[in-house]
Amino acid sequence: MKLSFSAEDEQFRQEVASWLRDNLSGEFEKLKGRGGPGDEHSFPQERKVWEQKLAQGKWTCVGWPQAYGGRGCSIEQQVIFFEEYARARAPGRMGHIGEGLTGPTLIAYGTQAQRDKYLPGILDGTQFWCQGYSEPGAGSDLANVKTRAAFDQASGKWRINGQKVWTSLAHESDYCFVIARTDPGSVGHKGLGFFLVEMDQPGIQVRPIEQITGTSEFNEVFFDDAECSSEDIVGEPGEGWKVAMGLLGFERGVSTLGQQMLFQNEFDEVVRLARSNGAASDPVIRQRIARAHTELKIMRYNSMRMLSGQSTGDGSLQKEALIYKLFWATWHRSLGELAMDVMGPECEILDAPPYALNRLQSMYLFVRADTIYGGTNQIQRNIIAERGLGMPKEPRGTL
Amino acid sequence: MDFTFTEDQLLFQESVRDFLVNEITPERIRRSWESDSGRDPELWSQLAELGLTGMTVPEACGGLGMSEVDFVLLAQECGYVALPEPLVHSTLVSVPLLLELGGELAAQWLPLIASGEAKVVVGLEQNHWVEDAHIADLLLLQRGGNLVAATPGEVNLRHNESVDPSRKLFFVEVGANAQVVASGATASKLIESAMNRGALGAAAQALGLAQRMVDLSVQYTSERHQFGKAIGSFQAVKHHMANVAVSLEYAKAPVYRAAYAIAHAQDIAWHAVSHGKFAACEAANLAAKNCIQVHGAMGYTWEVDLHIFMKKAWALANTWGDAGFHKARIAQRIFAPGAALGADATFA
Repeated sequence: MKLSFSAEDEQFRQEVASWLRDNLSGEFEKLKGRGGPGDEHSFPQERKVWEQKLAQGKWTCVGWPQAYGGRGCSIEQQVIFFEEYARARAPGRMGHIGEGLTGPTLIAYGTQAQRDKYLPGILDGTQFWCQGYSEPGAGSDLANVKTRAAFDQASGKWRINGQKVWTSLAHESDYCFVIARTDPGSVGHKGLGFFLVEMDQPGIQVRPIEQITGTSEFNEVFFDDAECSSEDIVGEPGEGWKVAMGLLGFERGVSTLGQQMLFQNEFDEVVRLARSNGAASDPVIRQRIARAHTELKIMRYNSMRMLSGQSTGDGSLQKEALIYKLFWATWHRSLGELAMDVMGPECEILDAPPYALNRLQSMYLFVRADTIYGGTNQIQRNIIAERGLGMPKEPRGTL
Repeated sequence: MDFTFTEDQLLFQESVRDFLVNEITPERIRRSWESDSGRDPELWSQLAELGLTGMTVPEACGGLGMSEVDFVLLAQECGYVALPEPLVHSTLVSVPLLLELGGELAAQWLPLIASGEAKVVVGLEQNHWVEDAHIADLLLLQRGGNLVAATPGEVNLRHNESVDPSRKLFFVEVGANAQVVASGATASKLIESAMNRGALGAAAQALGLAQRMVDLSVQYTSERHQFGKAIGSFQAVKHHMANVAVSLEYAKAPVYRAAYAIAHAQDIAWHAVSHGKFAACEAANLAAKNCIQVHGAMGYTWEVDLHIFMKKAWALANTWGDAGFHKARIAQRIFAPGAALGADATFA
């Protein structure tokens, strides 16, 4: 056990910090602290330009292997990168789905041709991705997807029909990875395919969903004979579930670190407010802040513990990651409640009409999504009990 | 950065666990409740033979010279079996305090602790009722701002029954002529350090206790049938257990982090310990609550072993600083001027 960073790593920290100091300025100044969960609607175009700026400094995809164009950073260096990125209040990453999910998935499961075609656009910050998993009838029961993909012999392409929903940033994305049924008679996990689909085509319609925040980050995506090249299926037809689940492993790996740093910034904001408005002298508030701090530390230590213990080296986590989603989502929801209690009566007052929420109000509302998307708390508990603790499986309904 | 234990540390944990699970059965604990002292000298000799009483005693004094990081996993296992003997107290509190005091006191007592011939207990404000004072050969006690060393002849003990029948607690009166071994700033530093170690020991045991309650409950709910099914297949039951599993798994890292901070004499040790004590005891209390619930009425009986572990968890949560004490320390740290919080303060 060694709970510190080496001198070399601290050197790397200086490098990250000074690059951010020099570059997160001028036209990018206004992006500080913007974007990220609950604020994804802010400055999308400017944040895409920022992605390209990052790419010029080789600060996208820092954890990818060098052979695939990344920096090949160690876990320690990735931790430090995320720490400094958050400390500089650099904007929420528009490229995080491509960098954190598409890239690692293609590196693990894709063909060389797919990597050659898609990795460069992710690395240079010019191509953005969204995730086509959930459907109106496939939420918690994700394997119930009904979207169909049929191979059209005449055109030599896949034709996709159906609907996805809750698709984050679909309206800002160039590509979507889609799970769709390739075997028409199949049910459940079997008979699915994993497709890389271009968004800008006549067969795809994107409709933003207005959230309780009054803003739109999620969308409905309609597929009406959308086309996908025969080269753009990852794995074989029928193997899509394996790829889709492998991808979720990446979602719960190193990419969680960046999220925790954002949490830290939000927590710090709550502490600052409590200091300045006097809430910090309320013993009950102090105790709740102490709890929030302890649990944030717990998340950070656990990520370190899991990441330094993993031997796979591809940034994915399996068993330990089971419990993370439930913990962070519940923590974040409580932080929202704490933030409102620290604000006191002022938490009711909007910044401006028609519905301009301040950051903490917006967070308080957005965290309601956290305990739902990516597997609800209830689904997480089922998984933890059955796979983590080995409790008896619940009998399923007949399909 | 490396947040893992070495293979040796994990192997040692496994072998100690095997020994303890075989020896310290619930039946044996129940028998100890019937005995006068509640303690088993034969068991203490066995622990000494395994080198466990000398874990943190330097090699020069006949011990193994190991650190808090080496011992924390073993303390967890002591919790798993609800070990009545004061092994965690001795190893994590008494030995390090003697080492910090140094001099003749250390030279005299450390070899005897390592060999299992003597037991030393520590009584501070935060463990007001001193555990195992009745079998101590030497007592190190906080009296005001001083630390005094007293022999059994110099103290008057008043037994207090604990909610955990395994814990033997004493109100200790000490005569005016007991030897003052530290005073002033030195004493407060030693007291703080001993207090943090005591809290670490309680936290590590709480992890083991929680794990034991989980194991018992997973087994019970997999076997017990209602409505024609194992009750563990019901989501309502699963969710109780999943909440405990998360709370327990996530309480481990701050406890290990606290052990590391103490072993490396880091300035952050005091609040690292508070994170760990608060999280681990909360996990154990949640385990107790939910595990009794999923046992149904059986969980409320004296006959089912669950309460052996529940009661120790209850007791440990309220000694060496309760949740309020540790949360207040954490808040004190957060609101201290210039506190190193922030995204870059991972290990601060």
